[in-house]
Amino acid sequence: MSNKEHHEESFWTKYVFSIDHKVIGIQYGITALFFLLIGFSLMMVMRWQLAYPDTAIPIVGPFIKWLATLNGFASEGNLPSDLYNVFGAMHGTIMIFLGVVPLIVGAFGNYLVPLQVGAPDMAFPKLNMASYWSYLPGGIIMIISFFLPGGAANSGWTAYPPLSDIATQGQTWWLVAMIFLISSSLLGSVNIIVTIVQLRVKGLTWMKLPFFVWSQLITSFLLLLAFPPLEVAAIFQLMDRIAGTSFFLPSGLVISGEMLQVSGGGSPLLWQHLFWFLAHPEVYVLILPGMGVIAEVIANNTRKPLWGYKSLVYSSFFLGFMSFTVWAHHMFLTGMGQGMSTFFQITTMIISVPSVVILSCFMLSLWGGSIRFNVPMLFALGWIPMFGVGGLTGLPLGLSTSDIHLHDTYYVIGHFHYVVAPGTIFALFSGIYFWFPKVTGKMLDETLGKIHFFASFVFMNGVFFPMFIQGLAGVSRRLADGGASYAHAADVLKWNETMSYSAWLLGLAQIPFIVNLIWTLYKDKDSKANANPWNATTIEWTDATSPPLGHGNFKKTPVVYNGPYEYSVPGMKDDFLPQTKKIKKGK
Amino acid sequence: MDIKIPYNEDLRPDTGLYNAKLGIWLFLASEVMLFGGLFSSYILLRAGASVWPPIGLDGQSVAHLLEETIGLATFNTVALITSSVTMVMSWVSLKMKDISKFKMYMWITISCAIIFLIVKYFEYSHKIHEGFIPAHDTYMALYFTMTGLHVLHIIGGLFVLVYFVMPDGIKMWDDEPIRFTNRIEVFGLYWHFVDLVWIFLFPVLYLLN
Amino acid sequence: MVSDNISKQVIKYWKIFALLLFCTVLTVLAVYVDFDVEGSIAGGIFIGLTIAVFKGYLVAYNFMHLNDEKPMVYWIILVTLVFFLILLFIPVIWESTLVGKY
Repeated sequence: MSNKEHHEESFWTKYVFSIDHKVIGIQYGITALFFLLIGFSLMMVMRWQLAYPDTAIPIVGPFIKWLATLNGFASEGNLPSDLYNVFGAMHGTIMIFLGVVPLIVGAFGNYLVPLQVGAPDMAFPKLNMASYWSYLPGGIIMIISFFLPGGAANSGWTAYPPLSDIATQGQTWWLVAMIFLISSSLLGSVNIIVTIVQLRVKGLTWMKLPFFVWSQLITSFLLLLAFPPLEVAAIFQLMDRIAGTSFFLPSGLVISGEMLQVSGGGSPLLWQHLFWFLAHPEVYVLILPGMGVIAEVIANNTRKPLWGYKSLVYSSFFLGFMSFTVWAHHMFLTGMGQGMSTFFQITTMIISVPSVVILSCFMLSLWGGSIRFNVPMLFALGWIPMFGVGGLTGLPLGLSTSDIHLHDTYYVIGHFHYVVAPGTIFALFSGIYFWFPKVTGKMLDETLGKIHFFASFVFMNGVFFPMFIQGLAGVSRRLADGGASYAHAADVLKWNETMSYSAWLLGLAQIPFIVNLIWTLYKDKDSKANANPWNATTIEWTDATSPPLGHGNFKKTPVVYNGPYEYSVPGMKDDFLPQTKKIKKGK
Repeated sequence: MDIKIPYNEDLRPDTGLYNAKLGIWLFLASEVMLFGGLFSSYILLRAGASVWPPIGLDGQSVAHLLEETIGLATFNTVALITSSVTMVMSWVSLKMKDISKFKMYMWITISCAIIFLIVKYFEYSHKIHEGFIPAHDTYMALYFTMTGLHVLHIIGGLFVLVYFVMPDGIKMWDDEPIRFTNRIEVFGLYWHFVDLVWIFLFPVLYLLN
Repeated sequence: MVSDNISKQVIKYWKIFALLLFCTVLTVLAVYVDFDVEGSIAGGIFIGLTIAVFKGYLVAYNFMHLNDEKPMVYWIILVTLVFFLILLFIPVIWESTLVGKY
């Protein structure tokens, strides 16, 4: 390296334009949590509109009125349907692209992967910084677009053309922001893969990697190979909107009774193909690292090795591969031929097998363990059935016959929210409680954590379970009145109030969490948690310099001797055997 | 305190690679998917068109203009292939520790890239002047988008090329010759890939109509 | 010995360069020859793409020195090519679509 002399770091290079993976991980974490909160707030406002259509919203009503006026919509403190569309599209976009993925890959991946493989930093620290500083502008552009005339993007997070091609200018901003976010993902995923492949310490062979690292590796591959087609689609749509091309506009398109003056010859289905080519693997980008977190927490808190480590790894590989071959199951209703629809039904059924294998491994890991019911473990235990519900309700959607009835109903919304909200987000909470002492040196409060868990668990189900009932009754998604104008929805409309109250209570349930984060950081500034409070085995607990923000991860480069989940090894004094501890052969 | 990242210039024994080499191949993998998406869309849109290139709203097709530009495009193909071979030659020169030859080949590469861009400029302005803008028909839309993205890759590469021969970039040769050689190799891989994309764009957009 | 190898390499690079130029000329000339099969230009497309694939192979194999690379790189390329082929599957699905052809 060319830099030889030691120099003091300024505030800017240490906390803002840092190239230290730990700082970047924290930056990602804080930003992504912030966006999660915004995305969730949008939903809380929308839930008022669904429960009590066209009535003024308490508390935030004046703000909504101000925003609606700014966008050019009429509002008396209620949520006008145009703004409802904006909120719906932006809720999805913010939650997925600005909240969950940056949190689970950007924050957890960045912070933990180098530590778990024993690396001094990411392989390309400057690219790592560029990745964050490409993500943040993307997020800021998204937020600014709320204040444009006509509001932010309003064509749904899927941005289907032709609607999105002719939508208000918020859509253009959305596309530009997406290009920033895609670049950020690409930089991040290259970095994570190279770090895992190249920077593993001596002795850390592939089958000794913690499952979390495997999940990050496969996720990064998905990001790397699935995002570029969406980038193509975004560029096409940008061209359609700015240069007047017709990539997604068919000939003879009539809008509001007038023929659109474009050359035509394009295909709206092209967008759907390119979009779902990304967006299906994206589902696994959301869930795989979550599974990685759950694996770590379960093994640690059952005090026994993870059941079926190798089958977990192979299943994830298979899952990653298959995720590229199922995208058209989102498009059964586009009129594709029988042969194609059969093909995608078969692949969709096949992809459920590795997911079940993974879930079964986690369940079997509990068997015979002496389980510690701490907060991370509670979230992990809550995750298992919730992800199960999410996964199993997906099967009817993967069969075209039942999909005809369920497509675009609240059933779909219920299904993927079970996968992502009590699925991925529970895994995220579990991970935050688990690694918080690593990051800050302080243990989060258990009581507040338990309140947070039980309340979230109950209200999550309160929000999402009635969606299945409504969906089976045929209530469509994306209706600004929640289905009030449809006769067939009359019997199930009563559930809207239940869901809305659950959503607001779910919001309240996050307050103990936020209080916990801030309060723990500021009480007893000097108190330090044990370096390895969970008695864990992986390198980041046992060898890494502890915490926080210490530049340089290891005092001495560790050498790995053992597998990642050596808990309760017979004949050992402690019930855990760190990966880096050498034991004499023949014992 | 600065951290030394392992295998930045030396090879990791079990993979036989240094970090940047693996990194650039992963990056190129994503580029393959990017251009793959473009080519896939091209096939789809072309298969859906009754005539190719399609006839625009003004009743015109770009077909007659394309015949004229084959010459320019062929010239550009030669320019890019030349730049590719001089790129690999500049890397070989570094391996032979011949810095002056390295500089010579780099400058040829840079010139070829600039020539490519100039020709491209004339091609674009000619088409736009004749009314064949991206909005004219789906062929023109694809043409401008695909070659436009390719040109962006050339421009990006050009900046890096120039940086390598500027005093700021080349001084690494004195301090860390291996790392500098690696840089040239890795950049070369990118540059050849851009050439490779053009090898496919050339027949697809100019010849097979 | 090493420099001997390198000078051999240099000669090879220039040979490849000549071959690439030759292929370029060939593919341009092919435009003016009629390969049409029963009125479709499928024949011409086949010839043009075959030459392009061969040229691409020359560049990737020699200039990007895939003739002498590590297994890890081959694995990445293999995985990418598989997904690339899946991506090219999109027009096939679209062709099978019963409605929505414009």
